[in-house]
Amino acid sequence: MSKHSKKAKGFLKDARYSEWHDATFWAVREKRDGMAHGLPEWERLREKASKIKLHTLSHLDQYLEQFASQAEKNGAIVHWAADAEDFNNIVFGILSEHGVKKIVKSKSMLTEECGMNPFLESKGIEVVETDLGERIIQLLGQAPSHIVMPAVHLTPDQVGELFEAEGISNEPGNHDPTYLTYRARLSLRKEFLTAGAGMTGANFGIAATGDIVVCTNEGNADMSTSCPKLHIAALGLEKVIPDYDSLAVFQRLLCRSATGQPTTTYTSHFRTARPGAAPMHIILVDNGRSEWIANPEHWQTLKCIRCGSCMNTCPVYRRSGGYSYSYFIPGPVGVNLGMLRNAKAHSGNVSACTLCLSCQSVCPVKINLGEQIYQWRQQLPAFGTAPLGKRTLCEGMSMVYDHPLLYKTATGVIKKPFHSLKLDKDE
Amino acid sequence: MKVGLFIPCYVDALYPQVGVATLKVLRHLGVDVTYPKGQTCCGQPMANGGFESKAVPLAEKMENLFAGYDYVVTPSVSCTAFVRHHYPNLLKDSHTCELASKCMELVEFLHDVVKPDGPLGSFPHKVSIHNSCHGVRELGLSSPSEEMVAPFNKIRDLLQLKKGIEISEPERKDECCGFGGLFCVEESAVSSRMGLDKVRRHIATGAEYITGADCSCLMHQSSIAKKNGLQIQFMHVAEILAAGL
Amino acid sequence: MSNKDDILGRIRSGIRERYDMPSLGDLQATVYDEPLAAFKASSEATGSKVVELAPETDIDKAIRDLFPDAGVIASNLPEVHIATLNPDTVGSAQELNGTDVGVIRGSFGVAENGCIWIPQSMKEKAVCFISENLVILLPKAAIVNNMHEAYRQIDLGEYGYGTFISGPSKTADIAQTLVMGAQAARSVTVLLV
Repeated sequence: MSKHSKKAKGFLKDARYSEWHDATFWAVREKRDGMAHGLPEWERLREKASKIKLHTLSHLDQYLEQFASQAEKNGAIVHWAADAEDFNNIVFGILSEHGVKKIVKSKSMLTEECGMNPFLESKGIEVVETDLGERIIQLLGQAPSHIVMPAVHLTPDQVGELFEAEGISNEPGNHDPTYLTYRARLSLRKEFLTAGAGMTGANFGIAATGDIVVCTNEGNADMSTSCPKLHIAALGLEKVIPDYDSLAVFQRLLCRSATGQPTTTYTSHFRTARPGAAPMHIILVDNGRSEWIANPEHWQTLKCIRCGSCMNTCPVYRRSGGYSYSYFIPGPVGVNLGMLRNAKAHSGNVSACTLCLSCQSVCPVKINLGEQIYQWRQQLPAFGTAPLGKRTLCEGMSMVYDHPLLYKTATGVIKKPFHSLKLDKDE
Repeated sequence: MKVGLFIPCYVDALYPQVGVATLKVLRHLGVDVTYPKGQTCCGQPMANGGFESKAVPLAEKMENLFAGYDYVVTPSVSCTAFVRHHYPNLLKDSHTCELASKCMELVEFLHDVVKPDGPLGSFPHKVSIHNSCHGVRELGLSSPSEEMVAPFNKIRDLLQLKKGIEISEPERKDECCGFGGLFCVEESAVSSRMGLDKVRRHIATGAEYITGADCSCLMHQSSIAKKNGLQIQFMHVAEILAAGL
Repeated sequence: MSNKDDILGRIRSGIRERYDMPSLGDLQATVYDEPLAAFKASSEATGSKVVELAPETDIDKAIRDLFPDAGVIASNLPEVHIATLNPDTVGSAQELNGTDVGVIRGSFGVAENGCIWIPQSMKEKAVCFISENLVILLPKAAIVNNMHEAYRQIDLGEYGYGTFISGPSKTADIAQTLVMGAQAARSVTVLLV
């Protein structure tokens, strides 16, 4: 059994919860379908999005230079981080320089990838996640179970009890999501007003203008950057796209694919620091990406815009949950990203796929996710991580099927195989 | 037009009646079809499991066996998809590859090449179509629910030639049943749950039969149905088309 | 060598084939017979309230009618005389906390999704988010069909910041239950003028 399959088995033991999980994410998939059906140009948009990404990634050197020089012209300070450690040190350096002791931040899979929060905390900096779902799992000390809905695995009771323990809510037993959300609002409001810096990820970096574009529903990225006097934005290299015309294509696809809304509530463009604030810092993070570009089979994984729709449609993700995967991004794209990150450590995820290919049919940028998982399976023997039983079985099958006589003997124990029947015309 | 019949290993061993029905339908429609001896397996199970190299000798054998045919027709969706999409790569160093372009799954061959338009006997029963993943997303037997294209279903089109048939599709009409070749061994818990969900949705349509173009999906679901005491019958599309001919 | 040179060098040597930028001229994006009606419908779907004001309507009165109990009203718009706070002159963004109603101006709306383009036109943009209720004045003639058209005309203005807003701040992070009013405005009213 693979690592994933063992954990999936545990997940499925709770029948009621696992059914709820499956139905919840299927409902998101259906909302996405509804949105896609509302746009006659949907398939054209996906095709364009895929091609823009192919173009951008294959000219990434040029677009990164353009983006950085535009951003610098706008007055931003641009940093280039080689890896996670480098990134964390850059962030800490900026915060130290400004004497910042507390930061508020919006959701970023990149800071998750780099382990930024624990690093900053070890240096005595208080980090407050401000996306409600992220805040909940931060207080619980958990990792996200989904990239768009990080706390979806928790019930209102679990959140309610957490908020009572943390002193966020003050009506014991009131676990109504509306009430809990309101209490979190009040608690986070204090943090926004007192933090020394705001940090955001980025959904897109625009090469032509140097804009950082951040999409949220809660408005927490804007709240995080409206009060503190310092804004740090972090983006993976692959987030840079050419221009506004390209952005229009992705903006239309992103939220429709992610949550089934026609747009996020806020699509915010940050070009320069607000009046009276320190210059904006932009950190471009490599952390493996520049090497992945050279991988002939798997470089297209870098097209991903982190909408999560491949998870929502994946029949295996829906029935095994985010924590069954060893990489922090689960589902089809997570299987692929995990293998790029560390194939030996994350080989246990490649079994989590029936090759149904639904993922690549929903993917707004048309990443061939299922085909790549097939490719990774072929490479397991080279990593020394192919399951032995499966290997023996496949070798045995190959031998039997390669020799018609052996095959005949093997199938001879079955009553009447087709090949033994008398047909009028065979050769 | 010379047509070779390809009966994949597990159909040969476990569902010989599907092979017989395929032959019957093709002959009824006047197709010149023969069954070359010495067939075993196309290599898909090993390749999907991660051992593509073990499939290469089998691909070479298939190419040789079916040289000289205009079409190779098989009642299996996933084997067709494998031959079509993977043989060119498997054979790139050793062999010319003709099978990829001339291998057709039975439903697409009937629908796109033979194009029967008259009635094809009767089958007065309610059936629920199982749209196999590889049929939907690799062979284009029906419009994928994910994509915004005009809806079509070639299995439905063919079944409609049977008098008296009532055709339905389950909720989540093309969600995977969880077979996935070695997936059902390696990820047995998820696979069983997917199969159970699928069978229940088929049953909810009120159908007497679950039918589809791929024996492996039907095999998986029928074993799940049996294990869980669920009452529904299974028939391959070829068997329904051949009924009463 | 710097990180930047290292990274760009690795990318250059890793790229095997350069793909062309596709032409976007043939997208045939959705347009509407009545963009304003489509905008109203999509705005309401995002949770906004849309009010069409008759010509010459007094903006102060319209705001007062909508929010009779509002204590703190923040705006720097010349037509809003009832503002008690001005985001251009407050000492800090934090002072805007506690605003009952923030009144701002949108440049144009987008029919397909209810987005309104808000270029920053005040010193403290916090007013767009920190206010409990947000009122956006929008010229009803300024409606574009879709985001392609929208991105051809956005302008970030002198402050170098702008945002598309569609409806109140929202979240479904607790058990997928949709709740309006997460971290930013709890209600949005669009006044079409």
